Amino acid sequence: MKDEEPREVSASRRAFLRGIPVLTAAAAALPAPALAADGKHHWAMLVDVRKCIGCQACTVACIQENAVPEGSFRTIVSTYSVKLTDADQPAGTYMLPRLCNHCEEPPCIPVCPVGATFKREDGIVAVDGDRCVGCAYCVQACPYDARFINHATNKADKCTFCAHRVDAGLLPACVETCVGGARIFGDLNDPQGELRRRLDAAKAEVKVLKPEQGTEPRVFYIGLDERFQGKVEGQGTLWQPRKAHG
Amino acid sequence: MTPDIVETVNVAREIAWLPWAVQYFFLIGLSYGAWLVSLPGLVFRRPGWEGISRLALLAALVCGLTAPVALLADLHQPGRFWHFYAYFTPTSWMSWGAFFIPVYLTGLILYAWLAFRPALARHADEGGKLAGLARVLAYGGHESRKALMAAALLTFVGAALVALYTGVEVMLVRARPLWHTPLLPVQFFVTALAGGLGLALVFNRALPGGGDPAATRRMAVALALTQLVALLVGVVWLVLGMSGMSPVHAQALAEVAPSANWKVSAVWAVVATVVTLALAVRRPGSGLLIGLLALHSAWMMRWTIFIGGQEVPKTGAGYYSYQLPLGPEGLMGIVGTAGLWIFLFVVLTTLLPLDRIGRAERVGA
Ligand code: SF4
Ligand code: SF4
Repeated sequence: MKDEEPREVSASRRAFLRGIPVLTAAAAALPAPALAADGKHHWAMLVDVRKCIGCQACTVACIQENAVPEGSFRTIVSTYSVKLTDADQPAGTYMLPRLCNHCEEPPCIPVCPVGATFKREDGIVAVDGDRCVGCAYCVQACPYDARFINHATNKADKCTFCAHRVDAGLLPACVETCVGGARIFGDLNDPQGELRRRLDAAKAEVKVLKPEQGTEPRVFYIGLDERFQGKVEGQGTLWQPRKAHG
Repeated sequence: MTPDIVETVNVAREIAWLPWAVQYFFLIGLSYGAWLVSLPGLVFRRPGWEGISRLALLAALVCGLTAPVALLADLHQPGRFWHFYAYFTPTSWMSWGAFFIPVYLTGLILYAWLAFRPALARHADEGGKLAGLARVLAYGGHESRKALMAAALLTFVGAALVALYTGVEVMLVRARPLWHTPLLPVQFFVTALAGGLGLALVFNRALPGGGDPAATRRMAVALALTQLVALLVGVVWLVLGMSGMSPVHAQALAEVAPSANWKVSAVWAVVATVVTLALAVRRPGSGLLIGLLALHSAWMMRWTIFIGGQEVPKTGAGYYSYQLPLGPEGLMGIVGTAGLWIFLFVVLTTLLPLDRIGRAERVGA
């Protein structure tokens, strides 16, 4: 999937590419962190829930891009059947794409006993796989169930905003594939960027998950129903992708 | 009734702190709990406590030596445990814990050695099993009160730090309301002490003749007190949660209240505590039974908190359901630590048989 040039570039993708200086072959060959660590960018995502069609293209793209082992997910579109009272049909569907929020105050960082989890200068919360001891303290501390222990690597794993792609001037895989154009990725520090413009335009409607936790997520939502903002009250899913790990 | 919201697609996160972690928190708790029971006889020289205090010390030692292995096994990268020492991270209580455990264990081993030296020498003199090794370990077999007190002080510092960090580390996890209550460290401590008393009672019962009845009664009183405190703490927890006086307790309660499993666990815990209390008060001679009950409660409490706590999704609806896998990440973790515990117990009691440890005698001084 990543090798294939998409035929049509979405609006959000085009806008993103405009905001990034054209990389010459020489610049592209620079070590990636050197590009990211200049402190200019602050990456974030806006999810327009109203546009999500629940197709899980992002879920699949992420698994492909990041070799996420079977049964684990760095991103998923939580899907709910919701009783309707004001419509003819008895129930509607609510979709909520979830991923690591790359929190500004991430509770997963201070708990790590070996300093393996850290925040890059560009806002991306990352795990140093060479250092992680797999203690899973960060998994416990994340209020969003965004982390898990990867059974293939035995280390903490989660969404990286596709840092390897972003460092190379590309969009995260989930944004790239989003069919409904619901995921907008960009630089909070770029006033002309699509992300900033959309956030500013939608100001009052912009919400984050579990704001009371004080984590200051950098994944924002438009159209977030407050019944889904925290732990959802309802009947849990019966689907468990991996009952026992062999 | 059909719920208004039914989750149709979501990820079910697996348990990340495995049964190994339950074993660690159980064993390290038993260890410091039992170590406290060693104090009246060995440090404060309270009449009638010496035998039972030495048995408690054995319990502290066996559990204390097994616990770190369980902790190591809970890491998904156990070979990297040295990272804890190479990359100290002061913001993390787990990082501090990596330094507290060696303090406690160094103190404990030293203290146990000093306390058991004379008995080891006698064991060697009388030609007991592994007499040669016992003689080497006894290293003259002198009793040194001053050294013992110094070792006790070091162990105390270590034990206090371990008790503190094991409680606070879990309590700080705000993302899990059930863990995030200031009473949690207290509950860990009380059940650990009860478990330590319980294990000493079980050892006492294993002595030829079923142990000293006076000591059993004394221990029963102590155990009754811990159960009373455990019940009181439970009541405070519930009142804080139900009245809404404390938002963190209310949240913790709200999180588990709808679950039938949790109701069963809660009733179970209360009944076990009340039965232990009643038996300890009315039949203080039933040392083995109340000992086992206290051990069971200490384990159940940790299992429920850790495994049950991780069954509560942080964002998703309902509960995840955990089934104990049979492999190394499940049942083997429990069986493995139990096996190691038994092995250490056998080795130590071969060097120093239980009845020699439990004999209420004092030499020299
Ligand atoms: S969402 Fe969770 S894993 Fe991601 S930065 Fe926030 S606390 Fe850390
Ligand atoms: S699992 Fe890894 S990243 Fe997470 S807290 Fe432990 S060492 Fe840190």
